Amino acid sequence: MTEITANNETATSKRLSQGLFNPFMFVAGFKALLLGLAIILISAFIGSLSNTHFDGILDVHTGAESPLWFFFAEGVIDWLCIVVPLFFFGLIVSRSSFRIIDVLGTQALARWPYLIAALVMLPDANRRIGVYIMSRLTQTTSPAAIDYIDMSIFAFAMILTVLMAVWMVALMYKAYCVSCNIKGPKAIATFIASLIGAEVLSKFAILSLADCVKVLP
Amino acid sequence: MKILPTVCPSCNSQLKVKSLICEQCRTEIQGQYELPSLARLSADDQTFILEFMKASGSLKEMARLLGLSYPTVRNRLDEIIERIKLAEGLKEDKGEENL
Repeated sequence: MTEITANNETATSKRLSQGLFNPFMFVAGFKALLLGLAIILISAFIGSLSNTHFDGILDVHTGAESPLWFFFAEGVIDWLCIVVPLFFFGLIVSRSSFRIIDVLGTQALARWPYLIAALVMLPDANRRIGVYIMSRLTQTTSPAAIDYIDMSIFAFAMILTVLMAVWMVALMYKAYCVSCNIKGPKAIATFIASLIGAEVLSKFAILSLADCVKVLP
Repeated sequence: MKILPTVCPSCNSQLKVKSLICEQCRTEIQGQYELPSLARLSADDQTFILEFMKASGSLKEMARLLGLSYPTVRNRLDEIIERIKLAEGLKEDKGEENL
């Protein structure tokens, strides 16, 4: 009886850790796409409350005030910019047939740690520190008043954001492996190449959009 | 029910069938027979293939039954196909060597 309970506990904790670090074992396709898109849009909305921009697939920082649609556009551009190279690498490298809906869905869902990043950027202390740093760098306006509490909140937000970025990259890699059935050195090399390409592509696309509609990112 | 061993517990080589017996009349056939490709798979893989057949070969249905995502189930099937191909390749290689 004790052994069965212990086995059940082990199985439950194994499933829980798989759910945290590889949720794509259980969710993919259309379900993941709907969930992932909802997360991207909610993150963008929360980000808009503190002018936190996701202006690159890995980028998170406070910036200028922009219309809400621009925050949504940033999230969608980030997501599509990683899907495109991963899909094409998948076509070249994978020996399995795979569905684009799984690549789209799992990559959208993999962005959920940035929902937490958007939440930790909400306190106004982060904006004050941002203004302070910018004013010190440009020496154009007088530095905003900041205190130790602001600095502590900012430091906590930065540490958590970096952790969330690492977690998101790990999830994106897992999503790629599961959706395209690629493993080992080939998976690592093509993923790194996609990540670098997607970062450049997303930056370029977002800055071009901002320039086109005269919005400051 | 006893589990049919497919690999040697001593050297890990593929086992072969040496004798077959009729439980009715006790007729015994001796020889050296290869195990069929499916019988060479692990018990887990065999169960997966059986469930896949029962689900009419539907990966979506399998994913629903196992509580896993579609690509996870498809990847598992691809792994089994690879193992079968590898086992059949080895069998063909050995056949050519014997000629």
